Amino acid sequence: MDVGVKIIDSRGAACPGPITDLARAYRNSKVGDIFEMWATDKGVKADTQAWATKTGNEILESREEPDKIVIRIKINKR
Amino acid sequence: MGNKLSIIVFSGTTDKILSAGVLSQAAAAMGSEVNIFVTFWGLLSFTKGEKKMIMPKEFEHMGQTMMEGMAREHVASWYSMIKEAKEFGAKVYACSMACGVMGIKREDLDPIVDDMVGAATFLQQAEGGQTLFI
Repeated sequence: MDVGVKIIDSRGAACPGPITDLARAYRNSKVGDIFEMWATDKGVKADTQAWATKTGNEILESREEPDKIVIRIKINKR
Repeated sequence: MGNKLSIIVFSGTTDKILSAGVLSQAAAAMGSEVNIFVTFWGLLSFTKGEKKMIMPKEFEHMGQTMMEGMAREHVASWYSMIKEAKEFGAKVYACSMACGVMGIKREDLDPIVDDMVGAATFLQQAEGGQTLFI
């Protein structure tokens, strides 16, 4: 089911590292792509939401696991 | 947030230049056009050569703690943040008047600087966006 999901591993990176990793992945993406970001920076939930709002994309899911924050982003706009 | 962020980097201390770096990189990642205009004390860190850590006088005693904290949290240097921002199209300009006052020539500027321009150019580039003075 998760075959098309691209993992963006930003664990350990401080702000604004994760959002930059996302922007870099976004550059080579196409409409319909789904990214799963793994991060440990505490600002990442709000920041990915802000990024999605600004760029016209969508946060599908945002959850905290014991060792990381996991965020799923759907690319709706290129 | 608009689609353009322009930052005047006036201060010469590393704490403030780091803030400019963070905001530049974040704005560039958000898809915004980013213009950085470096003037006066800021220019001291945008010449060629080693980038020295300059703490403000009142927080000098915290320099070591801050360095350790940044290493622990894997915070990048302001220089690499601006380089990242430039990868997304950010531009860095040096103020021609301040360069003249400080005896800084075009060839003395770090390669991270795109051009030496005047205030009118910066104002025209910044028009219609958000501008910060740091």
